[in-house]
Amino acid sequence: MDKRTEEILQLGKEMGLDSFPIIFETVERSTMFNVCAYGLPVRARHWSYGRSYDHQKTYGEMGFSKIYEIILNNNPSYAFMLDTNSEVQNLFIAAHCLGHGHVFKNNHMFQKTDRNMIRHAAEHAERVEEYIGRYGFEKVERIMDIGFALDGHTSWSKGLYRKPYPEKSIRKRTRRSGEFDDLIRMDKSPSVIKEMVNNKFPPSPEKDLLWFFINYAPLEDWERDVLDMIREESYYFHPQMMTKIIHEGFASYWHAEIMYHYDGLTPAEYLDFVRTHEKVVQPGSNPFRINPYYLGFMIFRDIERRWDKLEGKGAGKKKIFQVAQEENDISFIQNYLTADLIAELKLFTFGYAEDYPKDHLDEKFIEIKEKIREEVVEAIVKPMYNGGVPKIVITGVGREGMLLLQHESEEFGTLDFRFAEKTLEYIWDLWTAPIELMARDDAGEEQKLCFDEAGFYVRSADEFGDENQEEEEEKVEKKSWRLIIP
Amino acid sequence: MTIDNFKDIWSLKKPGARDSARHKERIREAIKENLHELIAEENIISSSGKKQIKIPIRYLDSWRFKFGSNSKNKGVGHGEGKPGDIIAKEGGRGNGDKAGQNPGDEIYEEEVNIEELIEIMLEDLDLPWLEEKEKSVEIETEETVFQDIAEKGLPANIDKRRTIMENLKRNALKGKMRIGGFDLNDLRYKVWEQVIEKHSNASVILIMDRSGSMTSEKKYIVKSFFWWLVRFLEKKYSKVQLVFIAHDTEAREVEEENFFSIAESGGTMVSSGFKLAKQIVEDRFPISIWNNYVFAFSDGDNWPDDNDKCLEYVKSLMSLCQAVGYGEVQYSDWFYNWSGQANSSDSPLMEDFTKDSELATNERFITASIASREEVYECLKEFLKGVGEKQNG
Repeated sequence: MDKRTEEILQLGKEMGLDSFPIIFETVERSTMFNVCAYGLPVRARHWSYGRSYDHQKTYGEMGFSKIYEIILNNNPSYAFMLDTNSEVQNLFIAAHCLGHGHVFKNNHMFQKTDRNMIRHAAEHAERVEEYIGRYGFEKVERIMDIGFALDGHTSWSKGLYRKPYPEKSIRKRTRRSGEFDDLIRMDKSPSVIKEMVNNKFPPSPEKDLLWFFINYAPLEDWERDVLDMIREESYYFHPQMMTKIIHEGFASYWHAEIMYHYDGLTPAEYLDFVRTHEKVVQPGSNPFRINPYYLGFMIFRDIERRWDKLEGKGAGKKKIFQVAQEENDISFIQNYLTADLIAELKLFTFGYAEDYPKDHLDEKFIEIKEKIREEVVEAIVKPMYNGGVPKIVITGVGREGMLLLQHESEEFGTLDFRFAEKTLEYIWDLWTAPIELMARDDAGEEQKLCFDEAGFYVRSADEFGDENQEEEEEKVEKKSWRLIIP
Repeated sequence: MTIDNFKDIWSLKKPGARDSARHKERIREAIKENLHELIAEENIISSSGKKQIKIPIRYLDSWRFKFGSNSKNKGVGHGEGKPGDIIAKEGGRGNGDKAGQNPGDEIYEEEVNIEELIEIMLEDLDLPWLEEKEKSVEIETEETVFQDIAEKGLPANIDKRRTIMENLKRNALKGKMRIGGFDLNDLRYKVWEQVIEKHSNASVILIMDRSGSMTSEKKYIVKSFFWWLVRFLEKKYSKVQLVFIAHDTEAREVEEENFFSIAESGGTMVSSGFKLAKQIVEDRFPISIWNNYVFAFSDGDNWPDDNDKCLEYVKSLMSLCQAVGYGEVQYSDWFYNWSGQANSSDSPLMEDFTKDSELATNERFITASIASREEVYECLKEFLKGVGEKQNG
């Protein structure tokens, strides 16, 4: 590391930034494409990374996008810089990485992440190679396809490491004897009642699908292991998905602050920095997309301005640190994207114009819908809920091991049935017994999406009315089922 | 593993290329599995002259639970304007600014080489009953084959494996087990050769109904059928003679471009197309030298008194051609579909063709019906399966 990089990092620390040690690596472009496509330097192989690799390469080589750096959440953190960056670019990237490093170390979402994931992912890769050798490429790829299809269905509140459900058991309960029992209780009812507990499986609707299958589906050990790796990596990446705007906003805010206060730059270098910085935090030429760097940067700047005004100079920076620690993107946008800022940034929601003349063949018109705060904020955060993944829960296991699923995020939209079909086929591979998914179709009708030996089929609500009744009866029976011991 | 050698891992292992190769393999698989849907893809047919085309590969998307197209999310944008202002339009080709209602909900498109796509799609097809004729003009099929190894050649064609082998051998002679110290004498070059296979002459006459009853959907089906047929013929037989005939009540020979950009008008006399085809065959393609093929497409909505004439001309064509094909796009109006009484029965013309004792027993008269875009591929296979395959059933 050269002298100026050290000075920059030192300056950042003095300004309050606190990260794990950062190891800077200068790499060539092809290595950069690899790290970006995989998210980690070494990861178990899968064709889907090949797809993002191609994407990176195509866009990177055509000059559409340039990745200056990537930093990994690890202790120590690894930051990769492109070997074609200019010296001054590398200085501000070092400052930028320090901002990311601070969020990694301090933001509450990251507190339980695996800080040794670089190594663990490399180990995963090795194990997958071993399984490929032993069980064949196709089998391993298939189970990985399945794992990636389900890895968005995590239960963040329950966490990565969980105990299995409590065992079904019989619990004895002694009836409290009252003073007037001899008077009131004419019958000779027993004083000890035996009750089934944990009779329900799963005890409450289960959102962590991979965890459920890893623990309860009839799988081979190596299959469990592969799914487990995918689940671990998903939990590792989840906080990063949930803090994109905070991350980029905070890092951009701080690289600007640090570079501004650093006195080791020549005027020409400072200009070079300003040019790059402006590219990073520009609103972007596509009016239908908001650059997260820009949005986050502007919100943090606004927070500083407001709190300095409210509580005196210096309070703004303090507040910024607090926000970077406590929020995720959803709460960040909800709490700090103000109506004034929305007006300043000229944000709006858009959608298809409904009452526009239809004489234009196949053309749909897009119009500005709203500019009020509630609408804009909601439109930004809505796709973030549950990581943008429909909430599917396992509600129970029925007769003959039939797995019962329910779609629970209907207020965000209905499921794509074609995709649901293929995903249910994956689940069928794991569970090997029939599956039923309750979900509404586009018309709002409740449907049962089924998958069994016969393949995929959909049954409408009125077709299973009778069965429902049966189930109801069963439930009633269970409730009244008590062992009574005299 | 210690931290020190982490660096080696990521500087040496670059798995991107390997996984990208597997990804491309999956695309090929997906294309094969979904030929029926892809063959009617508009992007492909309207891709005149382009080498690379983008086709939506829905089938290669990573399957997962996701929201459908009616997701209630709105997009967020930035810029000037007030609520109600139209800021963009979607649809129509060449519109770069695709907004998309749902952020993060992209249609997955894959860039594919069109040559490769045609190859995959038309792999097993052949012109049926192709015979050896007098070779005054020849049909040639051209193939590039890697034939030989040479000691001199272009640097781009160096055969690395063989060069290393030579180097190893030379080193071994000196008693050294190693690769290195390359010498000009080690270099080996691949030699490519164009292999030309000569076949018999063939002419293919394509007849398309462009009468008023041909709706845009029907025309689309016919168009895509002929488009693929022409691509196939061009690819496989570099010197096949193509003749394009369009007809309503009258038939005309047209250029390829005009053939594919047809406008509809008037009534229908299918016989006019066969009549012109017969004339053309008699004038230009004597059966002693030529393998002639006539493929006609209509919706069968023919003038009733014309049907007999059709039969007559087709019968006379049979003696002049290797094979005659008649394809029909069935009525499947939105109304019939909607009312649940999809009319999939054949037209009177088709019935006449299939009931005629002479034609029905002649296996070189091929008929096929198409009801939807997805059946184009089946129809192509029907028309172009080799003789051997046809006999096997």
